[in-house]
Amino acid sequence: MFTKILIANRGEIAIRIMRACKELGIQTVAVYSEADQSALHVQYADEAIFLGPAVAGQSYLDMEKIIEAAQQTNAEAIHPGYGFLSENASFAAAVSAAGLVFVGPSAESIRLMGDKAQSKIRMKEAGVPTVPGMEGIEDREDLAKAAREIGYPVLLKAAAGGGGKGMRVLNAEDELSEAIESVRREALSAFGDERVLIEKYIPQAHHIEFQIFGDQQGNLVHLFERECSVQRRHQKIIEEAPSPLLTPALRETMGEYAIRAARAVNYFNAGTVEFIFDPEHSSFYFLEMNTRLQVEHPITEIVTGVDLVHWQIRVAAGEPFPFSQSQLSQRGHAIECRVYAEDPQNGFLPSTGKLLQYIEPVGPGIRLDSGVAAGDQVTHFYDPLLAKLIVQAESRELTIQRLQTALQVFIVHGVVTNMDFLQMVVSHPDFAAGNVSTRWVEDHLMPGNLSPSKKDPIPAFHVIAAALAETTLLDQSSSFENRNQPDPYSPWKTASGFRLGGSNGQSLP
Amino acid sequence: MRLTLEHKAETISIELTPSGKYYRARIGEQTFEVEVRRARAGTLELLIDGKRITAYVSAEQARRWVSIDGHTVMLTRTSGARRGGQAGHPPAGVLTAPMPGQVRVVNVSEGEAVTPGQTLLVLEAMKMEIRVQAPMGGVVKKLLVKQGQTVDREQLLVEIVDMPQQ
Repeated sequence: MFTKILIANRGEIAIRIMRACKELGIQTVAVYSEADQSALHVQYADEAIFLGPAVAGQSYLDMEKIIEAAQQTNAEAIHPGYGFLSENASFAAAVSAAGLVFVGPSAESIRLMGDKAQSKIRMKEAGVPTVPGMEGIEDREDLAKAAREIGYPVLLKAAAGGGGKGMRVLNAEDELSEAIESVRREALSAFGDERVLIEKYIPQAHHIEFQIFGDQQGNLVHLFERECSVQRRHQKIIEEAPSPLLTPALRETMGEYAIRAARAVNYFNAGTVEFIFDPEHSSFYFLEMNTRLQVEHPITEIVTGVDLVHWQIRVAAGEPFPFSQSQLSQRGHAIECRVYAEDPQNGFLPSTGKLLQYIEPVGPGIRLDSGVAAGDQVTHFYDPLLAKLIVQAESRELTIQRLQTALQVFIVHGVVTNMDFLQMVVSHPDFAAGNVSTRWVEDHLMPGNLSPSKKDPIPAFHVIAAALAETTLLDQSSSFENRNQPDPYSPWKTASGFRLGGSNGQSLP
Repeated sequence: MRLTLEHKAETISIELTPSGKYYRARIGEQTFEVEVRRARAGTLELLIDGKRITAYVSAEQARRWVSIDGHTVMLTRTSGARRGGQAGHPPAGVLTAPMPGQVRVVNVSEGEAVTPGQTLLVLEAMKMEIRVQAPMGGVVKKLLVKQGQTVDREQLLVEIVDMPQQ
């Protein structure tokens, strides 16, 4: 087992991974940028190494600096988390080349599944159903012909893409030329690769993904599905397990195909196979495979009772994964809501500021994976995810009720959050009925419901409380203690510039 | 005390008048009877027309964040109270007692420099401790109470002014 691991990430996932390390008796090394000097993840770790300026490219995406930090601190392994370098095959290869263990799959399987066009071809070869479409064609005429064959509506997307970027839905051929130009532009800027592919667009599609887990001894199982259809612009907002749409037969079949997909690239460690599910025909198609731990992994952990991060580390250390497929099952229900610092009434633009109050809900069946604490500064440099609220209960109905109650008592002051929006979604009859497709948010909630012109009268009690606060409570922006850690004397709290390793570069006044 | 708050494009004014054990709050045509049962950093426990309300309140400059029953609203203070007059609100920097109680500890003396958030006085009221903290850095201009003294709600306790320019 490792004695020390460096976590190449920040925020809630860094803390999640560090927690697992602590539980396993493994020392942790955090890395941080200028913007994260007082961040919770830095204080949580046993050691912390400064990377550089806030811009990700000069800190969390800097492969050399990260590997150097691991070597400096004698870390034996690097856990990449999600996002940042987690699906960067070059990084995985560089980590191995440096004599360290990359906590994840092989660089080769990352590379194979990272290319969406390539992975689709592989899946077809492996007999996994894929969305009707064509890849490897770039000429406008060929694309038009393919679109006619597939049948409109079609989806044009970046071959090197993912995460919902570089995609356009086309309803007719006259939209094609303009769409090709715009997708290529976006693809070039986001992924450095202009290649496109074209596929059938399924309007009321649901996004259902399967958690895969493999060890280095060749065992490969799935830990069932997650339903992730509540999305906005292809970004997930709410996820749940199990999916209310799957029958046991469908679950078994899709699970088998998920394993087949992972086997095709000799996969080990944690991964996720994403499917598009067409409820009209109960058909499913491979969408893409994510060769990393997902944001929404907690809901799988809860319904299966398996700690995925623990096993990621243990499998990376060479241990076999002890559960066979027949030993795994889902029990109860779990739903995760992503709490973002963004303003739904202002085009979901990120909100920044200091967390004046931050009180999480607590109670049976409530789990909070959070990256922030009261007093923290929320900046614009990174993804505005504040916390994941994960709720579990025996049934889906009870889970929804528990979730509604938890959202009501979750207090965040200082930044605008999407909590009212989350409450609106989970209270909607469509959500209760499981009728939320990936287009639902845009179709149902966007137009009108969230526009600023819809005026609510200012609630009187709030005004009374605000007025009373003038005399009783004072400005908290200056008087707030940083409650991040029990140790107020932690060296990581001081502004003295104390840094382990590397040069400081500051001169004393 | 009169206050005007803004929410998105709408403004609303409220007048708070102490009346015995309570405050009378008037918003437009509506009046409410308000009692402060408990006040500690960030939380107000109130009785509004006999209804128990817990309000979480945070302040940062002119912004006021208020959460009641899971509903969070951000209001902006656009004007303070009128000075003078019988419902006069003391100038900013003059701290008052939120409820009747007793001065337990006085931590500062006149002329002393204080930092933002520094506890100046500790009051005891209804079996709880209320720390009266400096809203800004400055100097204690006037200390209006002493240890052991009983105070009324709204009674002036201490005045802080900006540090004189060097």
